[in-house]
Parts: sequence; structure tokens; C-alpha cells
Amino acid sequence: MNKIRTVSAAIGLAAAASLILGGCSATTASDTSAKPADSGKVTWWGYTPDTPVAQKYIAEFNKKYPKITVTYKNFENVDYRNTIIPALDSGKGPDVFDLSPSGGTPEQWGPYALDLTSLAKAQLGADWESKIGEGYAKQLRDAKGRLVSMPMGGMSAGFLWANNNILKQAGAEVPTDYTSWVATCKKVAAIGKSCLAMGAGGADTFPTEMYHSIANSVDPSFFLKAATGKAKWSDPQGVKVLSIIKNMAKDGIISSDVLDAGQYPLANEKFMKGNAAFVQMGFWYTQYSGAESCKSAMEAAGVSNPTCFVQLPVTFPDVAQKGNGSQLFGEVDYGLAINSESSNIGAAKTFVGWLTTSKSGQQDVANALDLLPSLQGTAPDWSNISLVDDAVQRPAIEKLIAESVTTKQTRQYQTTQESLNAIVVATQQVLDPSVNTSIDDIVAQQQASSKASTVK
Amino acid sequence: MTATTSALRGRATPAPTRGSGGRSTSKAARLIPSGIAWILPAFTISVGLIYYCIGYSGYLSFFDWTGGRSPMFPVGIDNYVRAFTDPIFWTALRNTLIYFVVVFAVQVVGGLLFAALMHSRIFFASVYKVIIVIPVVVAPATLAPAHIQVWQTDGTVNQILKTLGLGDVAQAWLGQSTTSLIVVTLVGCFGSVGFGFILYFAGMSQIDPEMIEAARVDGASNLRMLFSIVLPNLRPITISLAILNFITALKLFDNVWLITQGGPAHSSEFLGTLIYAQTAGTSRNVGYASALSVILLIIAISVSIAIQRRGRERAVKLEEPADV
Repeated sequence: MNKIRTVSAAIGLAAAASLILGGCSATTASDTSAKPADSGKVTWWGYTPDTPVAQKYIAEFNKKYPKITVTYKNFENVDYRNTIIPALDSGKGPDVFDLSPSGGTPEQWGPYALDLTSLAKAQLGADWESKIGEGYAKQLRDAKGRLVSMPMGGMSAGFLWANNNILKQAGAEVPTDYTSWVATCKKVAAIGKSCLAMGAGGADTFPTEMYHSIANSVDPSFFLKAATGKAKWSDPQGVKVLSIIKNMAKDGIISSDVLDAGQYPLANEKFMKGNAAFVQMGFWYTQYSGAESCKSAMEAAGVSNPTCFVQLPVTFPDVAQKGNGSQLFGEVDYGLAINSESSNIGAAKTFVGWLTTSKSGQQDVANALDLLPSLQGTAPDWSNISLVDDAVQRPAIEKLIAESVTTKQTRQYQTTQESLNAIVVATQQVLDPSVNTSIDDIVAQQQASSKASTVK
Repeated sequence: MTATTSALRGRATPAPTRGSGGRSTSKAARLIPSGIAWILPAFTISVGLIYYCIGYSGYLSFFDWTGGRSPMFPVGIDNYVRAFTDPIFWTALRNTLIYFVVVFAVQVVGGLLFAALMHSRIFFASVYKVIIVIPVVVAPATLAPAHIQVWQTDGTVNQILKTLGLGDVAQAWLGQSTTSLIVVTLVGCFGSVGFGFILYFAGMSQIDPEMIEAARVDGASNLRMLFSIVLPNLRPITISLAILNFITALKLFDNVWLITQGGPAHSSEFLGTLIYAQTAGTSRNVGYASALSVILLIIAISVSIAIQRRGRERAVKLEEPADV
């Protein structure tokens, strides 16, 4: 009898344990075909935008849809990636979540998301794809052709941000090529400031931006050819790119603490504290040109009672000096996906539809200066935007926007994680003064560790 | 030992059972270990959660899978082959071994030294004890920013070196392949000495003072007493520290990730950071990370058994009477 009881207890406990474990994959009934609703509660999780920007979007949304409550939760990038899948698997994930095109994310997270093609058609008409940024829809489709995320906006990279105050103080010019960059850095160093704030340490893939920019100066077609297997990272262009990076450290453009940490926090803090003349960041950095947002960015970097400096987007110098100039690269930054198991699909559709496709929602996106709005023809309303120095910054930002929307090169969409990691390691090796390996050997290792992308 | 024996004796005399079939019930009762009902809940959760996860990791290690609802492709032992042919894996293992040897040595020497000092009559012993133990109790995440501040290019160490006129020695400690592992290991030493001290201090308190006294009467020097009396008595603690240190080195993650993220160029990579990087990257390699986890587990169990067996063999050897 005792044995029976014990065995029964064991079975009971095992059943309880399996229920607990099984609960992880419990699902709730949801109406995936629900029409957009005017009321409900929506939770939105994302690694971007910053919470104040999201709150602005939500406040504007609530002016039109006051009965829909949207709650935004912001995560740090890696935390977001580690949290979102277990959350969605548990059936208690957010109703709306960020989904970007990089690293095959549409394939990994797409199975949790609704196909939003019909929403896009309903909002923008049958020719909806022609009304949003070029390639955005393609980048957010999974292998089955489902639109798993509605593009929120795009981004571009491949340029520098300059601290205009430092350049003025140093009597230095914005560099246009390698030689003038070295000269500018000498003047900047003379006033006790760093030239280029760069953080290439750790496992972060930010150094690939620098590599890509230099590669475009060496041979504008090389990066994407190598990324897609049509060229080798160990080709002469690859050797030249790494040689230039090594020389940049030797000639004082890149400072000796470059491998102390990653771009965030190292380079971001150094630039935001006003200690460096340049930093390489993407379009998202435009938001810190604002008269108010610059203060919060500086405070976040550890500056108390900050006085904002004038930050300007400037063309990446033609460091190879072959006359190729510089070329921006960009893609859709992220989109909003709707959890297919959400119990608030109607309200979620209303929110996602408004923010990603409506003129007013996309106008807010444009005004936040965080993204290039997905909806074509939407531009920042400068009468609602206050910059630190409107006369100097606005023309530069407008030029950046104009160049960004016409870029033909993707940023990471066509580059595998293996290739990005290999670029990071190769960059670290040439920047590490204790490494004696030749650049030829480093590029050979880089090629061996890379994996060609099949994305066209 | 005595308690266990008496408990077993208790089971050998079964209580009278109600109704018929008492003979078979007592037989059955003998087959069920004492107290099984009490440990069953914890046992079930333990098996259900921990061992289930270990088993599931083993299962996943044979797949190419990016997690969640993405498709799983069976790849046989490819993930294991990939691990053993991946130079980063061997770098991680080499770093683990170096970390273990250095941290263990520093922990034993430092722990013994401080324990011996605290057992001698010194002023403010309690204050010193607190100072030694604090690094053990502070979370690595709390200390990591301080360590970064100390070792970064414009950090405390380089500033001190420059002040002392040793500016040529100053370097990017965190940003060089030749020094990043040294920094991580030193940080490990910083946190480990206190733990060694706690165990050795307690262990020394258990040594019979009469043994020490007898050795003194026999004219043994301090060094002789250390090697012939103190250290042999502390052998179980040293063996435990060796096992714990090796497992810590194998699982090492927090300090490394917070300080160097395994870089630059994987020079300070450990198995823990390698596994994390495979699961936290944009393209998640859950299958490969699982294979690395299984390898880590096998190494941890094998080495723990080996250290224990070696320790027992030596203990038996010491207990054997010397040939006359």
C-alpha cells in the first residue's frame, strides 16, 4: 500500500512537473483574422526606439485612438534577443514586437508573427510595396513569402558624426581623404581631444561599419561581393582595407584604447562627453542632434548639467584615396510584428497599421529623427523640430536623408553572422599591437571563418 | 557514519504491519530507501528540471537549430566535430586550464597564508578578515566596472605606472591578446583568495592542538609543521578547492563577459562565453551551443572524479604504515 502511495505520489509529481514544463508551450486562442479594433490593450516590446521616443509615438497614437492602451517595454539588444523567443513560446509574449531583417531573424521569429500582407494592402492599397522604402518589404519577408513585420523605417550608415565645436576650437577642417584626416587629428590632439571615438573590443559587430566604409573607398563593390561569395575577403581589396585600419591606428586617427570595449559604451560615451571629434554611428544618431534629446544623451553618458555641442553628419573620408569617394549603406532598420497568439490582435493591427503606414504615424517617426520613415514622401517637419544649431545642422541632416534614401548597398542584410564575426576578429587583430600575424595570414583566417550569404 | 548505520538498522526491523501479507510488505519496504517520500518532491523537480535540461541539451546537440519554432535539422555528430576542429574551442580550453592552475595556486597559497596569519596573534584580525572576504561576497557584475576602470588604457594601473616613471610598461591591458587573459585571471584571483581563506581558516581550527604541541616538543620547525601536519590535515579542503576551481573555470562567464567579452579576437575566450555567444548572437546556434555544453559537462564530471580518486589514493597512501 505504501509502495502504491509512493508510486502514485511520484506519478502525481511527475505529472505536475510535466505540466509546469508543458506550460512553457501553452498557447492561447487568438483570432488571427481579427479586423483592426478601436479599443483594447497592446503590449509592445522592442530594443529600439528609446523609451521617450516610443512614448511620443504612443501619445500621438492615443490622440486618434484614445481607447487603445499601448505599453512599451524597452530592452538592451542582447537581452531582447534572449527574452523574446521564450516569451513568445510561453504564450505570454507581447502583442507587438520589433523584428529586424538582420541575421535571418524573419526565419527565426517569423513563425510567431502574423502575415501582415493583408494589413499592408488594406492600409496602402494593392501597390503598397511601391509606397514604402525600396526593398523594405522583401527584407522583412520569411522564406515562405510571409510579411512577418511591417517596416517601421530604414537606417543608413557609412558616414561619420563630427563634433563641430571641437573642430572649430582646433581650427580643423572636416577631412575628405586619409591625408587630411591625419592632419585634422593632429590639430584635434593638440587641444587634448581624441580624434575618432571607436570601440572595437568585445564581440560586438560595430567594427564592421568601419570595415564596410573603408572597403567602399577601396572598391565600392567589394564588400557585398565578398559577403555573397562572389569575391574573397582575402582578395587584395581585403588586404588593403585591413592595411588602412592598421595605419589609422598608427597615424593617430584611431586611439590606442580602441580595443578596451565595444562601440557602446566606449565610443558613444567618449563622443557624447565631448571628448572626441568624430564617431561612426548610423542614422539613429540623428536624434541626438535635437536641442533636448542631446542633453539626455549626454546625461546618459555621464555628463552632469550638459551643454550640448553641435553634432554634424559628415561624409566618410576617401581613405583609400583612389577617387572612389564614400558610399552609404542601409536597409530597413526594423519592423513591427504582431504575435499570432495575441489576444489583442485587433488593437495591435490598429496600432501597427497607424505607426507604420499612416501619414500621421510616419510623420512622427520622421520627426523623431531616429529612422528614415518607411512611407515614401514623408520628411521631417522642421517646424516641430528644435536642433542645437538649426542653421548648421539642418542642411547637413537633410543632405544625409536625401543620400540615405537612395543608397543601393545593404548594411548587414546580405552578410552572414559568421562573416560579420570574422570581420570583427580580423579588425581586432590588426588593431592589437601585440599580434604579430601578417595581414595576409589574418585575411586568410578571415576568409576561412566566413560564410557566404545566399541572400540576393 | 554512525547515524547512517543506525538508520539502516532501524529499517532492518520493520514495524508490524496491519492485515495480511505483512511478510511481502516488509520485503517491499526494504526495497524503498528510507525517507524517499521526503526527498521525492525535490528529487522530482531536480530530475524534471535539471536532468531533463541536461538530457534535452544532449538531444539538441545533434541538430542544427536556431531555437524557437525554426526548423530543426538533424546533423549527427557534426556539432561535436565542429567543436573539436574549431580553434576557438581549443583556445577556450587552454584559457580554462591556465585560469584554473593560476587561480587555484593563488587561492591555496593566499588562503593558507591569510588563514595562518589570522590564527596568529595579530592586531585588528577581525578587520583583516572582513577585507579578505569582501571580494567573495560582492557580485562580479558589481565589481566588473571597477576592474575595467583599473585596467583600461587610461585606467588606474597605467596611471600608477606613469607616476612611477614606468610609462613604457603602460599598455592597453584589456585590448591586447597577450594581456587580456592575464587581467581576467588576476580578477579571478582577486575573488578567490577570500574563499580559500574561509575554508582553510575553518580547517586549521579543526587541527588537534595536541598534534602541534607534540611536533613542537619533538623540535619541528614551523615549515616542517606546515608541510607535515597542517597541509596533510587540510588535504580534503585542498581537493575540494581544486574541484570547485576547475568547475568554476569551466563555467566561467560573468567576469569575462563583463570585462573583455572573450576578446580581443577570442584571446580571453572561455567555454562559458563561447556557449553564450552562440546562443545570444543574432544567428543563434542552439545545436552547437548544446554540443559545447555537453562537452563542458563531460569534462567537469571526468576531472572531478579524477581529482577525487587521486586525492583518495594519496590519502590511503599516507594512512598506510611505513615499512620498517
